[in-house]
Amino acid sequence: MGIFESLVLGLSVACTPSNLMLCFAGCLLGTAIGVLPGIGPLATMAMLLPVTFHLSPAGALIMLAGVYYGAQYGGSTTAILLKLPGEASSVVTCLDGHEMALQGNAGVALAVAALSSLIAGCLTTVLIALAAPSLAEVALAFQSADYVAVLILGLVAAIVLSQGSLLKAIAAILVGVLLGIIGTDVSTGEHRLTFGLAPLVDGVGFVPVAMGLFGVAEIVSNLASTAGHGTQPVAVKRLWPSRAELKALLFPSLRGTVVGAAFGLLPGGGPTIGAFSAYSLEKKLSATPARFGRGALEGVAAPEAANNAAAQASFIPMLSLGIPPSALMALMIGAMMIHGIAPGPNFIVKQPALFWGLIASMLIGNLMLVLLNLPLIRIWVLLLRVPYRYLYPSILVLCCIGTYSISNSAADVLIMAVFGFVGWFMKKIEIEPAPVLMGLVLGPMLEENFRRALAVSGGDPIIFLQRPISAGLLAVSAALLVAAALPWIRRKRETVFTDPL
Amino acid sequence: MLKTLPKSCLIAVAAAGFALLACALPAGAFPDQPIKFIMPWPPGGGSDISMRLVAEAASKKFGKPVVVVNRPGAGGSIGIREIAEAPADGHTVGMIGSGAVAAQYLNANANALSDLQPIALFGDEPAALITRSDSPFKSLKEFVDAAKAAPGTIRNGNDQPGGAAFTFISLYERLLGVKVNKVAYGGYAPAVTALLSGEVQTISIAVPDVAEYHKAGRLRILGVSGASRHFLAPDVPTFKEQGFDAMVGSWRTIAGPKGMPADRLKALEKGFLDAMNETEFRERARARGFLVTPGGVVESGKLWDTHDQQLYPILLESGLVKARKKG
Repeated sequence: MGIFESLVLGLSVACTPSNLMLCFAGCLLGTAIGVLPGIGPLATMAMLLPVTFHLSPAGALIMLAGVYYGAQYGGSTTAILLKLPGEASSVVTCLDGHEMALQGNAGVALAVAALSSLIAGCLTTVLIALAAPSLAEVALAFQSADYVAVLILGLVAAIVLSQGSLLKAIAAILVGVLLGIIGTDVSTGEHRLTFGLAPLVDGVGFVPVAMGLFGVAEIVSNLASTAGHGTQPVAVKRLWPSRAELKALLFPSLRGTVVGAAFGLLPGGGPTIGAFSAYSLEKKLSATPARFGRGALEGVAAPEAANNAAAQASFIPMLSLGIPPSALMALMIGAMMIHGIAPGPNFIVKQPALFWGLIASMLIGNLMLVLLNLPLIRIWVLLLRVPYRYLYPSILVLCCIGTYSISNSAADVLIMAVFGFVGWFMKKIEIEPAPVLMGLVLGPMLEENFRRALAVSGGDPIIFLQRPISAGLLAVSAALLVAAALPWIRRKRETVFTDPL
Repeated sequence: MLKTLPKSCLIAVAAAGFALLACALPAGAFPDQPIKFIMPWPPGGGSDISMRLVAEAASKKFGKPVVVVNRPGAGGSIGIREIAEAPADGHTVGMIGSGAVAAQYLNANANALSDLQPIALFGDEPAALITRSDSPFKSLKEFVDAAKAAPGTIRNGNDQPGGAAFTFISLYERLLGVKVNKVAYGGYAPAVTALLSGEVQTISIAVPDVAEYHKAGRLRILGVSGASRHFLAPDVPTFKEQGFDAMVGSWRTIAGPKGMPADRLKALEKGFLDAMNETEFRERARARGFLVTPGGVVESGKLWDTHDQQLYPILLESGLVKARKKG
């Protein structure tokens, strides 16, 4: 079957009225939960799963997929407007997106986020259609030692992307990694750093820490620095990007798509590492890296493209090999099992209508999302006009509800409050919060893979240099770190940073 | 007094009416409200899907909805606690899988199986030993010979200590007299990925998770450690057929809190058993890869005990008994 016939088959499945409706419902719901802090696609898809008992298999997959990539669109909205990352993957979007909003370019930032997500979504869908099986085999070339190298590269990327002191960035990452160690040891079942507190046995969650460090801390430091009056962002200047801005977003989006799709293929943290790496890459490539963190357009376009590309690329190993690279994809496999469809290496051959139907729905869904999100921008930016005395309490309440809803745990709300204070303090001593989150997300994965790689090699660390992928990536990380640490580069970084633009 | 009289009369009349109605129903007075079915694992996994099928079929038998409520966390022990601490009136039940046997020793906060009352058995799923198609091991015997020749060198992918796949390989080690290098992964799917990528040479998991790869010729199931061959891979001989007497697997049972009235326990057992014995239910479960071997209170309890006796020495040996140490 040629690609053309396949796509026609896919469109015939995706364009039935009920499947179009489900696709729209999924995208709408995904946008909504992406906008709401705390409630993520995982919880939403889990809640929807019992409903899919009563849908057709194609309808169920189309709707659930819509929730997932829809959340990637919605997650950037609060990140830009309120500096509240809705998802782990939109932490990076906060950095420049919120700065843009403060400068009166909230509309432009939101439009850039939506358009770069669209570019990434469409390109990745084409990639899945053309090369899913062979790309999935690439994912199989990675073993534990290689993941260690990927994760180290991710952490180095987090160091490179931060402003100011290199030492402070490294310290922030290490604090994040330490936070990730809290909880039950995977290999022995021992409790670590829990101080005998039951809520810490399952570890410190990403959402409470992220909401504390970003959302709550932002409010606290805002009130602190204005003697309790709160700041009102400047009035929105423009809603739509100019022609020049549209041109400027193209290449960062394309590069973000490539980086994101590559990381999306690999298990664990795909969209998050993808977004961080894409941002670091743009900063490295930029002629004026000092603009990053101060409202650079590329700083929104690249990570937004990357997280959407990664979200969609994670379907590749799931569809072509039956391997779920994330908990979300494991849920998709559950949705197939409900309907008695066994995912596996023969899925595409055995279920062409389902595979191509899902692919076609992704194209349609991405278009729907942009059509849905662009008009909404007009409404979203109105949020900025809400006086802080109404806005701040509402944000805090939403944060509390969102955090509580993850596992119905009041302890999580307390953790969020503690990190709100920590975030305010970090701002005071000029340590950035993003690397802490990166350490928290990647640390546990790093530990797990590191210990496993050593278990495989019988305790010999040479395994990290013997495997070509691992050795290559470690070399890249080392080079990046050395480049960042070289005193002359450092001096240059600082002078550029302090120079007025 | 006078004022309340008409009210109580009304209640009496209403109660009589309901009693009549209830008598008309074949199931009797129990259950008189929906049954809450606690699922200690998240939605979408094999346990969740299998128990939702059971709940759907059982709703028809009980004449009241059986509502599945997911209470995941802490390796299943949060949901199990909710079952154990529920009022023992028969209106709260839940799934107890074989993992609960290990959990009571691994985790001091987990409930002991003795806090629970078994009701019915859903299925006893055999484990299997799987390798890549290009592996030098063509049969279980070749694996055993190689493992004996070089103890501790063959890398087996399993889940974390105390998990299902970990207990499978530990029991294989003991029953087949071998030693392997146990490499831990975060579940069945990552272990399958590791086997496909060649990081490990064998994995020890349940048949449904690898049947598709076996059919596609990417992985080879060396043997199934059950009483008979698995319907998803009928070409694979059992361990016993290959001369190794090892029965290892996992199971899912339905249980409630301790101390339910005998008649309600009987009604629950009958309802669930009738539901699982229906042809239509069997077919639906089979189409989703589940092996259904229904049993009642006695069979479930027996399974709990045998598994406990089989597993305890292994957990003790691996240093995993952290609570409820037996004297």
